[in-house]
Amino acid sequence: MNSRSLSALLIYLGLLAYAVVTLFPLLWMVITAMKSGRELFRLPPSLVPDLLMAGTPFVNFAAVFDKAGFLGAVLNSMLVATLAAVGQLITCSMAGFVFANLRNRVFTAIYVLLLSTMFFPTEVTLIPEFLLFRQLGWLDTLLPLIVPSFFVGAFGTLMMTEFFKSIPFEIEEAAILDGASPFGIFKDIYLPFGAPALASLFLVAFIANWDEVLRPVIFNSSPEVRTLPQFLLDFVGQYESQWTVLLAGSFLATLPLIMIYIGCQKWVVAGFARSSLK
Amino acid sequence: MNAVQRHHLRIAWWMILPCTIGLVCFRLFPILASFLISFTDWNIIGVPEFVGLNNYIQALTSPLGVKVLLNTFQYALVYVPLATILGFSLALLVDTGIKGVVFFRTLYFLPFITATVAVAISWKWMFATRFGILNAFLSWLHLSDPIAWLSNPNVALISVAVVMVWKDTGFYMVLFLAGLQTIDRTLIEAAKLDGANRFAIVRDIILPQLAPMTFFVVLIAMINSAKTFEATISLTNGGPNNASTTLGYAIYQNAFVHFDMGLASAQSWVLCLIVGGISLLHYRLQQRKA
Repeated sequence: MNSRSLSALLIYLGLLAYAVVTLFPLLWMVITAMKSGRELFRLPPSLVPDLLMAGTPFVNFAAVFDKAGFLGAVLNSMLVATLAAVGQLITCSMAGFVFANLRNRVFTAIYVLLLSTMFFPTEVTLIPEFLLFRQLGWLDTLLPLIVPSFFVGAFGTLMMTEFFKSIPFEIEEAAILDGASPFGIFKDIYLPFGAPALASLFLVAFIANWDEVLRPVIFNSSPEVRTLPQFLLDFVGQYESQWTVLLAGSFLATLPLIMIYIGCQKWVVAGFARSSLK
Repeated sequence: MNAVQRHHLRIAWWMILPCTIGLVCFRLFPILASFLISFTDWNIIGVPEFVGLNNYIQALTSPLGVKVLLNTFQYALVYVPLATILGFSLALLVDTGIKGVVFFRTLYFLPFITATVAVAISWKWMFATRFGILNAFLSWLHLSDPIAWLSNPNVALISVAVVMVWKDTGFYMVLFLAGLQTIDRTLIEAAKLDGANRFAIVRDIILPQLAPMTFFVVLIAMINSAKTFEATISLTNGGPNNASTTLGYAIYQNAFVHFDMGLASAQSWVLCLIVGGISLLHYRLQQRKA
């Protein structure tokens, strides 16, 4: 064996080794979700799930849907993640349109203030936000998880501003000569041009809001408005021994994200990379 | 101001209205309020009482406050090097351009986008002392007695950190890959022609060229470790006996479990100083280079 193919072999071994590390916890989640309650506590743990062998692999997945509140939590998570992401698209693209074009003293001040809030971790604003939402009567509703996204997003605004800056000046001039309104230019030139950035922003916001735990836990305690992560946390507390059903639920909670990732990989990766490189 | 700008100005105020309202209501007001609350003693129901720097003193010197800070430091000591080194190594492996590499790159990033609570629960079952697969593996290898991964105070914090390393490594790999793209390939080709081996190339060309990105990844990883929350609430609830309570989790606990709003606010400002300090450091060093 020459040194070239030897090094290729070593590289593949390294790649494979970490692939196992990456996949195993996810695989074990699925395997366990396909075990019966008896099989779960067998020692040593079996690698092949008995329900799969019995031809009924989805019993536990069906059982999750019978748990009170699971379906509601799925719907709540869908609603929160989708609306929050849409909110980000609207507010950040509108603000980006202004900040990319116009710089007077007031606009610059707003922009600088907005960007400087990125230095403050969310933990700082949590307690006052809680008080605000309590005052507004929004606690135990989905509003605290949705409404702020329609009003502010520092990273999204920065991203859209940078992206919009690269729109050629001449196109806008031509459109104005053709009698386009400012909003028409925003709608017909900026939004189509910004589509890749908007797609990334939507996906990042969707995933981040789907994954969010801290804010739901603090702002909502009633079962009707639980999101999926909350449902899972409560499940752990309530039926600690029903791991098979719990892990089936966990898998279902993460499945939409995996599907989005597989479907839109490039935008997801680019969006997250950009969100930190700024 | 040119014609285009004058044209756009007609709707500009409407376009940034939501953003301005949001900035004031959901960012500036809460930041200011949190700063004021941090100087009070307040259980959220009664009237806040001004106590000066008491909360900060408590956060920085009380036994529990110190424990939280030490835990945060210890967590970072596990998380930051592991995540950085793994992310860097994976980036190097993936960057070789060998056949099938796209598949591996896609796979490595996958944990980063999974729902944290869901995968943490899966890890919790793997960590189970009696029936967990990890201890089964250890006993199969005759390596050690069962380890109480989440209930042994000396291990719990490390277990939480390991789960987050598993989850975040792919993300750091992507950052390193972005850094690798910026390296001048002719340098590497020239070194190869001069007979340099892979190890020498990594040591003498890639590592020095990648230093700014490495520094950046380390800072991001440090910030992330100070903010850890999701994995902690899913795996240990900060236990046993606060052994895995780090700053991010302590803020939640003090505010919304113990209702000590002043202390929690003070701790959130300590966190803010850590995050801000790290960001500022990065900014300064970037400026100096430019």
